[in-house]
Amino acid sequence: MKNILKITIALAFLFTLSSCWLDKTKPNYQYMPDMYKSVGYDTYSVNPNFGDGRTSQPPVEGTISRGKVPYDYPNTQEGYDAALLNLKNPLEVNEANLENGKAMYTIYCISCHGASGAGDGELVKRDKFLGVPNYKDRPITEGSIYHVIMHGRNLMGSHSGQLTAKERWQVTMYVQQLRNELLK
Amino acid sequence: MKILYQTRKKISFLNMKSVKQHSPLSRLVTTGLVFLFFFSLNLSAQGDPANGEKLFKSVCAACHKLDAKLVGPALLGITDKRDQDWLIAWIKDSPGMIKSGDKLAIQVFEENNKLPMTANPQLSDQDIKDILEYTKGKPVEAVAAVATEADPGVERGKQIFKTNCAACHKMEGKLIGPPLLKIGDKYEDAWLKLWIKDNAALVASGDKLAKIAAEYSPIAMTPFRQLTDQDLDDLLKYMAVGDVAPVAASASAADQEIFNKPGIGVLPTLAITIGALLLLSLIIAAVTNRKAVEDDEESGVSVLKTLIFNPFLRFLFIIFSILLGAWFLFGWLMQIDVNEGYQPIQPIVFSHAVHAGDNKIDCQYCHSSAKHSKTSGIPTANVCMNCHKSISEYKGELFGNYTKEDLDKEIQKLYDAVGWDKVNVKYIEGYEQKPIEWVRIHNLADFAYYNHAQHVTVAGVACQTCHGPVETMHDMKQFSPLTMGWCIDCHRATEVDLTKNGYYKNIHDQLSKKYGVEKVTAAQMGGLECAKCHY
Repeated sequence: MKNILKITIALAFLFTLSSCWLDKTKPNYQYMPDMYKSVGYDTYSVNPNFGDGRTSQPPVEGTISRGKVPYDYPNTQEGYDAALLNLKNPLEVNEANLENGKAMYTIYCISCHGASGAGDGELVKRDKFLGVPNYKDRPITEGSIYHVIMHGRNLMGSHSGQLTAKERWQVTMYVQQLRNELLK
Repeated sequence: MKILYQTRKKISFLNMKSVKQHSPLSRLVTTGLVFLFFFSLNLSAQGDPANGEKLFKSVCAACHKLDAKLVGPALLGITDKRDQDWLIAWIKDSPGMIKSGDKLAIQVFEENNKLPMTANPQLSDQDIKDILEYTKGKPVEAVAAVATEADPGVERGKQIFKTNCAACHKMEGKLIGPPLLKIGDKYEDAWLKLWIKDNAALVASGDKLAKIAAEYSPIAMTPFRQLTDQDLDDLLKYMAVGDVAPVAASASAADQEIFNKPGIGVLPTLAITIGALLLLSLIIAAVTNRKAVEDDEESGVSVLKTLIFNPFLRFLFIIFSILLGAWFLFGWLMQIDVNEGYQPIQPIVFSHAVHAGDNKIDCQYCHSSAKHSKTSGIPTANVCMNCHKSISEYKGELFGNYTKEDLDKEIQKLYDAVGWDKVNVKYIEGYEQKPIEWVRIHNLADFAYYNHAQHVTVAGVACQTCHGPVETMHDMKQFSPLTMGWCIDCHRATEVDLTKNGYYKNIHDQLSKKYGVEKVTAAQMGGLECAKCHY
């Protein structure tokens, strides 16, 4: 009788101890990890089959991945000038496009350009980024706005990786709307 | 204008001469006076540097810095190099000047990578004069600013303390040596300097104070003969002030409180159960004991004896122990591979609190693939570089135990990965870029499918719902358990917004009719079907 008691107490004590996962910088243990870990390569996992050891690879040169729209204006001053004059927005100006344009603007542009486009975003207010122009001070067109989102300009980087072609045009549309309001 | 400028140069030259013979205090006063003098002079005759600074920051600073090259050249003292009228024309319409064939304009254009400067027709002549005034006035202002600033010596002293003293001393609390905060109150500075430089010599010289100090510990202090008087001054300054208390952490506690789950903790429940059991056994023992006394079977039986030898209580106790064991076993089994609170050490000290909290950058700015894809992507380094091309040092509030230098080094790690030359502000050609090996925190088991786009874009769930108050975390950690029960709880409770999706209107109407409800939860729409997540 007494032995059973002792054993139960010891077991209970052991369980309490072993249930503590002390080092939070290491992941907790797994039981039979075969079903936890992916057999295929995960998006960001190391991959010995490629020279650079990465699973996520850039598209092969000269190919266009499905759904991507190629952009022909080069990242030069000439390209900018050409886009400024010739590039036109293929999307129709409507509520839905403007709404998503605003949503995307609020994520990707607002930090520097500010909610109204006056160049007074949070990063500017906190002196992290300076000299962000007010949209009304620049002779920009829909072509040049799209070009700058695509390739960046001066210290602004390219945002083509974060936005799809359609979203870029929607943002362009919204920026034009903001600019027109600022010009009033 | 030119004459005026020359006189100013002369004044400052004369001033420089006199400064040399003066103490730092009088230097401060003279620089201040000179600055004020220039300031008033500028106001009347030329531009207003304060307005110039504002304009410079909003118009020019995107491409120019005063003291270093950015996209355009450094602008400090540009008025020495170029004529003011030319500069005004250039700032107003540089492309026009290049086209018109102005020789100087073409030369400047070609010197700066043939990137034309943006025309600024919105600036008035006075505005430009203000800006130009600012490009001159900066050094005067800078001297004044440094002189009036808190004390750079304290920061230097901290570094000296860290490299030399911290092995044996702490500011507060004893280590090998005594605590050093406000040590200057106890001993004189001159004596302390001698002691730090060579304490053995001081003891040998028969200094009484030194003998007492030497008896503090059997281990003699290392002499620091390499420290200069300036070093020692700074060190003593730092010891007098100590660390300025970090303010960063205080905000997060209250936020975390909100996210804590309701309900009684495990330990109180356990205590109540054990307490109830003990009470029960005591009552039973007391009752049986009284019975025994009444029956007069054995007169001298104590309550304690009944407690131990009562067969019913023994039985009860065993049952209880088994249940308790089973409960622990269950709890232990349930936490296998549950990584709530997992907080690995990342290759770069990237603080979400600084980026998403202080600077209010949207989560999706960096994790942009969350809106279209299964994975909420780790941003590529070029997204980091969108901002860090120009932000090469940390200027915010310090956090953790990091100094500004430590954090600058963390930004440097990014530059090392992508091959960015922060002095010349360009990518190093032919640099072999290296991936940054972040440690994955949120890792769902492979047998469960989860899609970010479905939750972020379709359902409009905020990132914080699952990932917790990330904008307050300096070191990212897993906030939610990511167990199936946790998923299901949320699916049962979340009501789906049916108003925005006309395409499925029919199905939605039928569903609400079927369940007799106005609003449908995710579970009622099939969010509990096994094959939705396990297939």
